[in-house]
Amino acid sequence: MLVLGIETSCDETSSALVVDGKIVLSNIIATQLDLLKKFGGVVPEIAARRHTELIGYVIKEAVDSAGKTLADVEAVAVTSRQGLIGCLLVGVAAAKSLSYSLRIPLIGVHHIEGHIFANLLSNPQIPMPHVCLTVSGGHTMLVYVRDYCQYELLGSTLDDAAGEAFDKIAKFLNLGFPGGPVIDKLSTRGNRKAFGFPRPLLRASSLDFSFSGLKTSIINAFKDKISNNETLPLEDIAASFQEAVVDVLVAKTLRAALQRKVSAISVTGGVSANRRLREVFLASCQQEGIEVFFPELSLCTDNAAMIAAAGYARLRQGEADTLNLDVIPNVPLEVQGGS
Amino acid sequence: MKVLGIDTSGYANAIGVIDGNQILADFTFEARNDSLEKIVANIDFVLKEAGLSLEDIQGFGVGLGPGSWTGIKVGVTVGKILAYSTNKPVSGVPTLEVLAYNARNTPSLICPIISAGVGNTVYAAFYRAKNGTISRTGEYYVGDIQGLSEMVREPTAFVGSEAQAHRQLIRQALDSPSILLEAIEDVPRGSVVAILAATRLESGEGDDVLSLTPLYLKESTAKAFLNRYSAGIQART
Repeated sequence: MLVLGIETSCDETSSALVVDGKIVLSNIIATQLDLLKKFGGVVPEIAARRHTELIGYVIKEAVDSAGKTLADVEAVAVTSRQGLIGCLLVGVAAAKSLSYSLRIPLIGVHHIEGHIFANLLSNPQIPMPHVCLTVSGGHTMLVYVRDYCQYELLGSTLDDAAGEAFDKIAKFLNLGFPGGPVIDKLSTRGNRKAFGFPRPLLRASSLDFSFSGLKTSIINAFKDKISNNETLPLEDIAASFQEAVVDVLVAKTLRAALQRKVSAISVTGGVSANRRLREVFLASCQQEGIEVFFPELSLCTDNAAMIAAAGYARLRQGEADTLNLDVIPNVPLEVQGGS
Repeated sequence: MKVLGIDTSGYANAIGVIDGNQILADFTFEARNDSLEKIVANIDFVLKEAGLSLEDIQGFGVGLGPGSWTGIKVGVTVGKILAYSTNKPVSGVPTLEVLAYNARNTPSLICPIISAGVGNTVYAAFYRAKNGTISRTGEYYVGDIQGLSEMVREPTAFVGSEAQAHRQLIRQALDSPSILLEAIEDVPRGSVVAILAATRLESGEGDDVLSLTPLYLKESTAKAFLNRYSAGIQART
């Protein structure tokens, strides 16, 4: 089945063609990096305007570059849950228009479910059940993936997302936006043990995360130096901050995997591109005899291929939405098949 | 030419279908919280009422706004993706023109007014009718009613959902109480979007499907702030 995916939940306008939830024929992603750099982050109204301008081009490019025509498309999957409301509405309006005019099924997908499927697209061999850490600028979540489309939420961030902490620290240190790649790069030249920043909730028994305290402690430690125009050891701060985030992410994910006695961990979302995170996960998982999987880089950040793959899995279960499909900006990942 | 016209600039779904001079269907679904999620389903309903299917439609018209920013983004997206996926032409029509068309038989100057939803701000423009068609006489206006009233110097018909109230405010602000001011309370009609789009499409003045963009008339708050901020920096350096 050839599924066209659409993803516009935040700042990436994306459309993709995916065969049987497995083979990615095209995955077109128009980023708004120019706007993000200008405004230092995502401005919902500006992001939604850009989606409206780009959505037609991106869909056409996804179809054309796959060597297909619209008539070949058999279903349309769209992110309809979790994201910025004005942005989601644009993608869903486009998806409904396609579903209606091509007379093909429509399926709304939860953005987080998309990220879970991003890794299954890259690594179809990931065994079920497994524990998935999905971590980006918008979310940080631990999910027990019992089987395809069957989830249990184990923990999530109580305040900032991990990627958001990277962005805010980068902004504080005047390193630009987005923060992830620049901190990743600076850290390679820094001392990870230069500063002992807090590891929030590391010892707490819950599998929830918290990153705002870490961010505040770094800001409090260096704000006087910044206002006095003193030179900061940027590499050491970046490396020590990144190490604190990585420590917490890896420790909690491993704890979840051991509690659930799974043999595999899946790490997805924009932050899963972070090199130190991958390094520490690989080393720690090897010690515990657990396999760890990461998506290929093009599937780490928001993209429509993962939405098409998740939509296909839902359609396979006999699910489909009507043209009345609701857009819901904030809703937990559907927990199915309970414990 | 069978044309489907839609306008969601006020969240309400205005949907109409015409065939040449004939209006086959014209519905306005009142604004609700989920109006923008209903537009495609409502289009299906209206086409069925008109006894047509989407394949019968030869061109699309879409209200570009101004109005609700989210509303016009959804309307324009639906218009362009329907046109792209059916391989038919599309024409955007400014929603102020759609409103003004409702007053095309008046000899007065026509002034459609749309509330911008923030404080006292309105979007407006002036049109003149001639032989059943209308043409805009100046720039679009974004500002308060006071400022708009200063532009009223001759008999004028105000059109919009709050036309009565706006006429009263302008009457109070005007120095010359003798100017004839009419008020026509009306909303954008889907059939009018279709009629105005058909005229453009028939004379080959359709829009490029993929690049069709709403008529915001106002920058987003963040953009306006950034512009003021960088203008301030330039002024200081």
